[in-house]
Parts: sequence; C-alpha cells; structure tokens
Amino acid sequence: MKRRTWLLGTTAGAGALLVGWSALPQRSRIGLASMMTPGEGDFALNGWIKILPEGGVVLAMPRSEMGQGVHTALPQLAAEELDVPLSAVHIEQAGWDAIYGNVAMLYGYLPFHPREEEREDGFGRVKAGRWMVGKVGRELGINATGGSSSVADAWEVIRLAAATARASLLGAASLRWKLPAEDLEVVDGVVSHPSGRRAGYGELARVAAATPPGAVELKDRRKWRVIGRPAPRLDLPPKVNGQARFGIDVRLPGMRYAALRLAPTLGGSPGRIDAAAALAMPGVERVVVLPAYAGTSAGFAVVAASYWQAQQAAQAVQVEWRAGPQSGLSSAGIARTLEDAVRSREGFTFYTEGDVDRVPEGSRTLQAWYHAPYLAHATLEPMNATARVDGDRVEVWAPTQVPQPCREAAARVAGVPVGRVELHVTFLGGGFGRRLEVDYVAQAVRVAMDLPGVAVQLIWPREEDTTHDFYRPMHVARLRATLDAKGHPVALQVRSAGDAIAPRWMERALPAFAGPVDLPDKTGSEGLFDQPYAFANQRIQHVFTRSGVPVGFWRSVGHSHNCFFIESFIDEIAAELKQDPLALRRSLLRDSPRHLAVLDLAAERSGWGSRPLPAGRARGIALHESFGSVVAQVVEVSLQGPAPRVHRVVCAIDCGTVVNPQIVAQQMEGAVVFGLTAALYGRIDIRQGAVQQRNFPDYPMLRMGSAPHVETYIVPSERSPGGVGEPGVPPVAPALAGALFALTGQRHRALPLSDLS
Amino acid sequence: MAKLNVNGVVREFEAEAETPLLWVLREQLGLTGTKFGCGIAACGACTVHIDGVPTRSCVRPLSSIGANEKITTIEGLSPNGSHPVQKAWVALDVPQCGYCQSGQVMAAAALLKGNPNPSDADIDLAMSNICRCGTYNRIRAAIHAVARGDLKAAQLSIQHADGSTT
Repeated sequence: MKRRTWLLGTTAGAGALLVGWSALPQRSRIGLASMMTPGEGDFALNGWIKILPEGGVVLAMPRSEMGQGVHTALPQLAAEELDVPLSAVHIEQAGWDAIYGNVAMLYGYLPFHPREEEREDGFGRVKAGRWMVGKVGRELGINATGGSSSVADAWEVIRLAAATARASLLGAASLRWKLPAEDLEVVDGVVSHPSGRRAGYGELARVAAATPPGAVELKDRRKWRVIGRPAPRLDLPPKVNGQARFGIDVRLPGMRYAALRLAPTLGGSPGRIDAAAALAMPGVERVVVLPAYAGTSAGFAVVAASYWQAQQAAQAVQVEWRAGPQSGLSSAGIARTLEDAVRSREGFTFYTEGDVDRVPEGSRTLQAWYHAPYLAHATLEPMNATARVDGDRVEVWAPTQVPQPCREAAARVAGVPVGRVELHVTFLGGGFGRRLEVDYVAQAVRVAMDLPGVAVQLIWPREEDTTHDFYRPMHVARLRATLDAKGHPVALQVRSAGDAIAPRWMERALPAFAGPVDLPDKTGSEGLFDQPYAFANQRIQHVFTRSGVPVGFWRSVGHSHNCFFIESFIDEIAAELKQDPLALRRSLLRDSPRHLAVLDLAAERSGWGSRPLPAGRARGIALHESFGSVVAQVVEVSLQGPAPRVHRVVCAIDCGTVVNPQIVAQQMEGAVVFGLTAALYGRIDIRQGAVQQRNFPDYPMLRMGSAPHVETYIVPSERSPGGVGEPGVPPVAPALAGALFALTGQRHRALPLSDLS
Repeated sequence: MAKLNVNGVVREFEAEAETPLLWVLREQLGLTGTKFGCGIAACGACTVHIDGVPTRSCVRPLSSIGANEKITTIEGLSPNGSHPVQKAWVALDVPQCGYCQSGQVMAAAALLKGNPNPSDADIDLAMSNICRCGTYNRIRAAIHAVARGDLKAAQLSIQHADGSTT
C-alpha cells in the first residue's frame, strides 16, 4: 500500500493519509464488490464491506478465530473508519480472491536483520525482498492465519476498504440531497446534514454501490473512538453458553463419525489388517485405509454411527504395523546428531558483524551449550474435519488456519478441480500452528469418498493427536562470548542446529510451491541472528538438519527456544561479570530505546531492585523482540520441593499501535501460561521412532493451581501494529531459568525445568 | 430405549449401556456445548452436572446414570446466558478459543453453588480443568467477581422444567 499512499502537507491536516482513488490499480487489495457473496437486500461496496438493509455492516473475514481475538480486532478497524458501533459489524467468511491473502505473514519470514533494514539507503536487498515477496504474496493470496500477522496485514487494507465504503455512502447522500459531502457527518451509521436531513447507511447503500468514493482519507489517530479501546470481544457470548461451533460441533443430516489409528512409529504404515471383529461391532460401517497424507503417518479410520462406537472398533482392529524409515529414531540420538552438527559444520551464516576471530589481549571467553526438546501443540480441540463427497462436489468443514491449502488438499485427494471444493472455516479450539497443517482434512476427505453423499466427521483421539503432531523441532545451540580485559562483552558467536520448518511445511501444505532445495529458513535462527544487544562483533550461524521427525510451526516458532538460549546466556555473562542481569541488559541496549523502554517498564512494575522479595523467592528477567513487538517479563519463583513454582509474571509489551488493549492483555496472560507449560513440563520423547507421550497425564499442562498471576503493561506507541499472539511466549522460559539461578545458584541450560532434583 | 433427564427434560434415545454420557449428549441429543478433550477425565472439557455435582462425562457410562438423576449441561445452565458465572465470564473477557470454557463455566457454577465465597485455595482445588489458552487469571477473577455479588439475587440455582432446582 505504501507506494500508493502519501502524506499530505499541513494544509489537509497533519498525519492524514490520502489515497487517490484513480491512482489505485485495478487489482488493489480493496477488491471489487463482486468478490463478496451477495445476501438478500445487501450491497457490497468493495471486496471487504457490505451494507445490510437495516444499516449493519458485513466485513469479509479471511482470518481464523482461534482465541487470539481477530474476529473482534478486524471488525474494530472497520467500525472505526465507517463510524458505526462495533456491535453493528458482522463477519462472514471471505472468498478465495487473492485480495484476502496474508502478505504480512510472508514479510515476517524474510531473514533480514532489523538493523540492515534501518541502515538501508535506497533500494537495497531488504526493500527488494519485501517488494518481491509483496508482489508474489498478493498474486498468491494465501489466506492463512499465523505469524501473529493478522492485524499488521489488515491494518491498512481494512481501514482503507471501510473508509472507501464510507466515502461512497457519503457520496450517495450528497447526490440524494444535492448537498456537498464535506458538510455531512456520520454518527453511528447515520449520515446527517445541519439542515436536519438524515439517512442510515442501509438507505444509502444501493446508490453508494454505484457512487465513486472520490478522495479517501483515513482518520487521524487523534479522532479514533474504537481503535485503541478495550471493546468486548464479539465471540464471547456464544463461548459461554455452548452455542459456539467448533469443527467438532458440525452436525449434518445423516452424518457418520470416524475414529483413526495411525502407525505407532512415525512414517509407519498398516500391513495386514483384520477388521472382522471391528466390523461386527454395533454401528460400525467400514474401515478405510489411510495413506500417509501431508506429512503424517499412514493408518486407518473406522466409520460408525457414533464416535464412541468408531473408537471402540478402531481398537478392535487387528493390524500388523510396518515400520517406516523413521523407526530407528530416538530423541536422544537426534540430540547427539545436532551437537555433532554444531561442532563439525558451519551452517548458514544469518548475520555477521565485525570480526569475531579478532580477540583483544587480556580477554576471556565464555561458552555454553543449550538444549530444547521436541514439543507438541496439544490444542484442546483434537484434530478433526468433516467432509462430504458427492460425485465431483466436495464440501469440507474444518477448524483450520489455512483454508486455501486445505481446499487444495481436499481437491488433490478427491481428484477434483479446486473450484469444486467448498470449505467452511469453523471456530478453532486452539491453533498454535498445528492447524497450519492439512493432514486431517485430507484424511477426512479420503474417508468420505468411501461413503458418497454422506457427511463424515473424522476425530483424532487425544492419543493420536499427541503422537502424530508436527512437533516444535529439537534445537541445540553453542553460544560463545568474548569479554575484553575491562569486562566489556565485545563478541558474540552462536551456532545452533535443528530442522528447518518452512520448506517441510511447504511440501505438505503448498506442494506446488515447494522448491527442489531448501532455502535458509529464518525460523532456525530467528531471535538469535536478530538479537538486539550491542556486540561489536557477531557471527550467528545455524546448521539445518533433517531428522526425519515431522516438525512444524509452534506458537512463536524459533523464538520459543532461541530466546531461551540467548537470554539465558546474557544472564550467564552478567553472572560472569558479577553484574545485575538488568544492568547488563541496559548497558547493551543503550542504542535501542524501544527495547530499553520495555525492559525498564517491566523492571519498574515488578519491583526489580526496589522491592525485596521474601526469603525463598527470586526474580528473573528476560527481553525479546518477535513478530514486530518487544516483550519483557519478570518472573517470581520459589521452590516447592524440587519443583519450581512461579507466583507472578510481570509483562511489558510494545506492540506498536494497539487496536484492543484488553485482547493484548489476554494474549500476554495466555502466552505466559503457554510458555511456562513448555518451560516446566514440555517434552516429547521419541524412542524407536515412536512418540512416548500420549495424553495429558504424561504431557502435562499448567492448571489453575500452578498458574502464576500475570500483569500486563503496554508501552504507548504510534508505530504500525506488531503481533500479539506469539511475542509473549519466548521470554518466560529464560526469565524462569534466571530466577532459578538467582534462587539456587544453579544454571539450567536444558528444558524443561520441572524437576530440579 | 435409554432415558435421561437432561436440562429438565426427559429424553429418549438409542445407545449401548457402556457409551459415555459425553457422546450421547453430543450426538444423540445434539448438545454440542459439552466438549471432547482427552477421553480419560484428565482435562475437564466434558464437565456437566449430575444432581449438581460436577462430573466428567467422557468416562461416565450411561449404565451408571439413573433415570431420576438430573443432568445439566452448559446449554441448560441458564436460558439465555444469564447465569452469573456466564455473565462474569463475558464481563471479564475470560474465553480465548473458548473450547474448554463450557467445562470451566460448569465447574465454576458448581463450586460457587456449594461455596459462595471461595478462597484462592478453594478455586485451585475445584478448578482443575485444563485451559490451553491459559485463561486461568481471568477465571479466578471472574469467580471472585461472582462471589462478591449477591448470590441469592443472582439465582445460582438451576431451574428445571419440572420446577425443581439443583
């Protein structure tokens, strides 16, 4: 959008954005009215906004609601520019046009160092990369929800679409009354003129649909009434009375239920199957063999009249499982392979500055190895999808973060053109990256193909969900700092190792775009190569491995472990220099005012250095930038026997312009619990190719009695919005480890930290 | 034909005796507000009330439930989301993805019915349901908010169609 917008001078109001309608090319992201599904009596004014007869607004919604509040935040953008109350904005699932693609998510995966972007003079590789990705992204139009990018992506286009619609509505009133549009005002969706004339949006929509908007101006932030206010979430009432419809709640006439069992070893498959006993059980209709779809393992599904019957019968099927090529894998062995990779290979250099090999006289070196385990997503709603295949028509209902790749996967499995697949996105009972995958949709379609015209709902038992996830990859890192004779940290070297995620995900979810060779995947080194501390000399490398374990995006992705590595190591440097962890960070951030402000806010509100804790308690602090936002957290911990107990987490965030501070606070609270669950308990172990953890007793979660009190403080900012769903996850693990060090003098370099005995 | 008293109405349906209550509610009776999370009573997403007692329905076989026992699901907690726990949940922005919240609301409603002014320790003990989104802080705050209100006026009791309350 940037090249089509320009700042007006003082004559038209400082800071106002003006967009020349005629300057917009045909294929702008505002789109055309024809891109929205027409409803009775409504009028679409562009690809995002429809006006209902009684004056309500319908916003096209290309993002999935998985708890992060996007079905409230994006309507807030529309309500603001249309001057309607938030309650007047309804949403409907967006269509498949490229305008709904998430371009900001793609920008987020460009491996550019933030400093390089700031320093770039003219059209360098950062601008070139963004331009190219933006262009390709707009053409591809991948309407995915991920990378904490929804608000950043929608920020300009939805406000612009809403402002454009408002301008047409005002234009329609102006035509009808033969009065200048400048003299009209809008309050709560009603246009009025000082002469007393009034008309609601519903009355004006027909004419507005044929009225060019003229010059469109976005509201100055000083006039905002909806953006930046804690509006109540629109999705909450149905979430407290049982009416919210998740994927698993889809109910269709004559629907059958399917339970699946996948090969117990990763990549395995069913050999001889004896289903006679299962087929004789009540309600059971058939057994469908499932190939290894979209990166998951092969197996079979049992279809029955009820899910309980299907699940019981699935257990009664006698199978000789064939081990796949991954049957020899063990997490302990993979850890050794990663350590060897760090020792013996250089990997890809994501960032270099100065000369790390030039060691000043009298300096000393500090080195440490860090480990992070595989992790499962464990969304509370298990993987599921509902499909009906009738001839060449396929209909799918899915709780998914990637509707379009799901639709394409359904088309591939059913062997129909993608246009024959209708896909309905439901609420998601958690996503966290697991629902960026398409495996469960492919399976549901395959099962439904055996029952033509019959809807089938495939539900994974919890045990399959835990043992056949796309795991947060195991990572190992070696960090090395050079401290000069005066004790100044002058060099940082990091070499980490772990599997690439993005190229594997492309193969599974977007096979048409998967490349023959892996490009360097930012997720391996994010949070390390772009770390904010001022070391004059840096070399940050990552060795990409291929372990054979299915790995995927897990809330905050590479940041989730890389923040633990770097922030813990900063603490180690502080301890080595006998400095306070906050003081060292402050000195290394002296040229990073944004980070410093966040760090200081968290420190101040937590009482760091000012309010002593009772005996047996200690604090730890960590800071991290991810997804365009900076978060600092201070953790207070004690020990109950060998187990850490976190009492309080103080969280400060700069996420740029805030759309809904209440949602920001919710996301920080949730992210702290998510990150702490991983830090305290999270580990997936693989032995002989099989995942050992199966359900919540052996893959435990934080519960009420173990959850800390979380406080959130937001740094005011006028930057464009950053992410909110993920940035709160990374800092909590290193802050916890730092607090434990303060408490016990023990440094913990491997997660999880549940049992310190 | 099996019979159950659900949300004040006696319902008849076909199911094997060992079928867990959860699946009867979700499939035969169309009450999808009660959720499947783990299947082993570990997460609490399937929590309903049986005669006022919070119960994990995913492991409760039909055969163990008498025709006179009164089952209340999230759909029957109040006619229109007006139960004080539901109101507090919305007022304090508790849910995120919302998948566990039917179970959380049912667990909290039962806690407050028996203990109108629970301490933090009481809440820790009674609220053992998993929330993967991590809404625990707000759940705790919402329970305290309900407790601070006038419970009698708030009508925490659940009215059944036959006039009885649980």
